[in-house]
Amino acid sequence: MTTQEAEPSGATGLFIYGIVPSDVEPTPDAEGVGDPAGEVTAVRHGDLAALVSEVGLEEPMGRPADLTAYQTLLDGTAAVAPVLPVRFGTVVTGQDAVAELLEAHHDRFAAALDEFEDRLQYTVHGRFDEEEMISDFLTENSAAAALAEQVRGRQEAETREKRIRLGEMISQGVELRREAENRALIEALTPYAVAHAPRPPSSELDAMNVAFLVATDDEEDFVRAVEDFAEQRRGLVRMRLLGPLAPYDFVSAHQLVA
Amino acid sequence: MTIATTSGAQGGALERSGGGGNGGTLADVVETVLDKGVVIDAQVSVAVVGIQLLEINARVVIASVETYLRFAEAVDRLSITPKNQKGLPDLVGDTAGAATKGKAISGLGKAAQEISGAVADSLGDRGPDRERERPRRRRDEER
Repeated sequence: MTTQEAEPSGATGLFIYGIVPSDVEPTPDAEGVGDPAGEVTAVRHGDLAALVSEVGLEEPMGRPADLTAYQTLLDGTAAVAPVLPVRFGTVVTGQDAVAELLEAHHDRFAAALDEFEDRLQYTVHGRFDEEEMISDFLTENSAAAALAEQVRGRQEAETREKRIRLGEMISQGVELRREAENRALIEALTPYAVAHAPRPPSSELDAMNVAFLVATDDEEDFVRAVEDFAEQRRGLVRMRLLGPLAPYDFVSAHQLVA
Repeated sequence: MTIATTSGAQGGALERSGGGGNGGTLADVVETVLDKGVVIDAQVSVAVVGIQLLEINARVVIASVETYLRFAEAVDRLSITPKNQKGLPDLVGDTAGAATKGKAISGLGKAAQEISGAVADSLGDRGPDRERERPRRRRDEER
């Protein structure tokens, strides 16, 4: 990522959160990044507006509170209006720069916002219960089960080779299972989602990790379908549903490449 | 580490966190937000002061020898009970079946059926319970 050494206008810049239709008005209690929290305002241009707040250019950015403020603002906005999240940490020199940005990409942003009208993101994340997962695997795989018998209760030093082999078999088993679970999840939820975007696993015990774009009319059915899916895997997978969220996984970086 | 799956007041199998980091952890926020969103880069004729991207290795998952050894260690912790041993529901089911099939002394058969019925009910309780009100976030609760 290129960082330009721009001349600071005073010592502050504008942190951009996201792009919204021009009729969106930040509520007075909306809190931005920074310490103390910046006041969030809208810079308007044509049919668009950018949600911004002033930040000191010397100020360190990326504290946990900053990330949370950023997400809170975007998710809160997404609940009432379409929003295109702008990547965390994007700071420009001032209002003119924001207006210029909106001008340069006006139609593309407007079209993207149309797509997100009445749509929200939900992220479904599942993690295998290690014990259940492994004992399932050993039940199905006799070679691994035999190996498990040979290492169980023995010193790691004397069974290291076998342990590595066994662990690798389990690891591959988890991977296959993960692929299958992700497929099953997408299949189960496709009827209730407009789009889906797979997310990379966040741990070696990840069972599934997929973002879904859901129409507000289908939210209840979608959530019920996730609940049913989770119920079928009770004990094996600890499942979590995050959302409703701004459509983070559905705005792609290349949207701006001309 | 993974713990028991039951969470949420309803005993549902699904854990929920609202948006805006509500009820979520910092890890959730980082995972949800980082490296996402529209990128405004230098080719746009806008003065971009800075895009500070945090280097987070958390999402890079590479299987390694350490992972393998950890899995093998988990095998040590597994209970020795073979997986195919029958659990309680199966056993009770069998009992009820036997009593019904054999048309044994009716009182006893009925008792056994009642027991199995009770077990089935309690298992049913764990199933997706659609009648129950789920907590739904209200839109106007946004901060």
